[in-house]
Amino acid sequence: MITVALTKGRLFKDFLKYMNENDLNNYIRALDGETRSLYTIVDNVKFIFAKGPDVPTYVESGVADLGIVGSDIITEDTFNILNVSQLPFGDCHFSVAALPDQEEFRVIATKYTNIAHEYFKNKRQDVSLIHLNGSVELAPLLGLSDGIVDIVQTGGTLKDNGLVEHEKIMDIHARLIANKRTFYTKEDEIYDFIKEIGVIE
Amino acid sequence: MKNDLIIRRLKFAQDYTQLLADENYQLVDMNMVEPFNIDDKRHHSSTIIFERNEQLFSIRSDWTRSLLNYSEDYHLSQRFFGYFGPVVRNYKTFHQAGVELYRPTDEEILASIDMHLSFVTEGYGEKFHSIVVNDDTLLDLYIDKYDLDSGIRNLVHEKNLSELKKQLGQTHPLYILLSAKVSDQMDLVNAEFGDSDIMRFIDRLKQALEGYGMKFILDLSFRSPQSYYNGFYFQAFLDHDYPLLSGGEYNSSAFGIAVNLSNGGLL
Repeated sequence: MITVALTKGRLFKDFLKYMNENDLNNYIRALDGETRSLYTIVDNVKFIFAKGPDVPTYVESGVADLGIVGSDIITEDTFNILNVSQLPFGDCHFSVAALPDQEEFRVIATKYTNIAHEYFKNKRQDVSLIHLNGSVELAPLLGLSDGIVDIVQTGGTLKDNGLVEHEKIMDIHARLIANKRTFYTKEDEIYDFIKEIGVIE
Repeated sequence: MKNDLIIRRLKFAQDYTQLLADENYQLVDMNMVEPFNIDDKRHHSSTIIFERNEQLFSIRSDWTRSLLNYSEDYHLSQRFFGYFGPVVRNYKTFHQAGVELYRPTDEEILASIDMHLSFVTEGYGEKFHSIVVNDDTLLDLYIDKYDLDSGIRNLVHEKNLSELKKQLGQTHPLYILLSAKVSDQMDLVNAEFGDSDIMRFIDRLKQALEGYGMKFILDLSFRSPQSYYNGFYFQAFLDHDYPLLSGGEYNSSAFGIAVNLSNGGLL
């Protein structure tokens, strides 16, 4: 049996939609439904549900053999994993956002300090970063920062708060990641699964 | 810790060091407090460093590094060394056992791998499930032959199939190789580079280990977590998710094998 770590959020809904489009009915029946259970088993695959940032930790440790995670999480932090494949869902992007008339960025609030640091360093731009755990849109509205670095999917949250995108940083996609040891010790089951979900032909 | 585990570990230490002595390895036991060496910290960031009398010292965090430092500082009358003893990483003590071979021939490396496998199978009645091997220089052969950008290395190391497909195309031999099941890679590499020294050595190893009945896997993405390994590298697994044996070539002319006593499934 292999264990696949998923996150119950936007990415999970996209994954269900992807399985629906590809007639992976066996998995949809088990996964699509309101439940508070933290895992479910379908044939030879055990799905566990974790917080997004914890998915690579489960995979790195070998508790999970595979994981589906946003590229934002494995770009922000370093994990000793195999970064096997981009998946055709979960698309969004990182942007610098602020009030429409903001002209320069000296202070940025973000949950993603490593990505923001790398971006401004590459632009040779001296920017102070403030780490926030969420609702970062508040920071420029309350004068804590000139702008934010955050994930933008539809832009709805920015618009609702009177913010606009100033600079796009990078695209984000769902990714399939794998443990570096069990990729070998559970080779057959892992290849069957990644073939089934269309990662390889 | 349970009495049984402590006794089994000590029994292992006695049997293993006796085997090494019988096979003419020089057994070593060194002070855990060592002169500080910045390379040790680079390779193991968890190495503990302290100051005493205005000098920096570190606590041994890896036997291979300790022996390598010793061999660079002092003349050695032997080429093969064996050890068993504690190391400290991040305040945690655990035990390492293994061998270091300096300037070994291919035959000597094969004999040492075989000695370790048979020690486990005969002495403990365990069966190895699989062995995974690679040599970093195999990827160089592909890069040279197909005139690839060296940036491809990172994609291969992280087995980034989607990006490799995008950059190389799905008919490129390197993409075909890396998207194949890992146990099928050996035949594909042999078809292209079967006459290279590296593949001849790997083929010899595969033949030498046939009697153990384990799965033999070659994967170009497979690498050691320790950056000092720079050539052939392997891990051997019992029916367990962590390797029991791991080893490989480092410093261009040395070869080490370590037994994982923490979670390799033997004790």
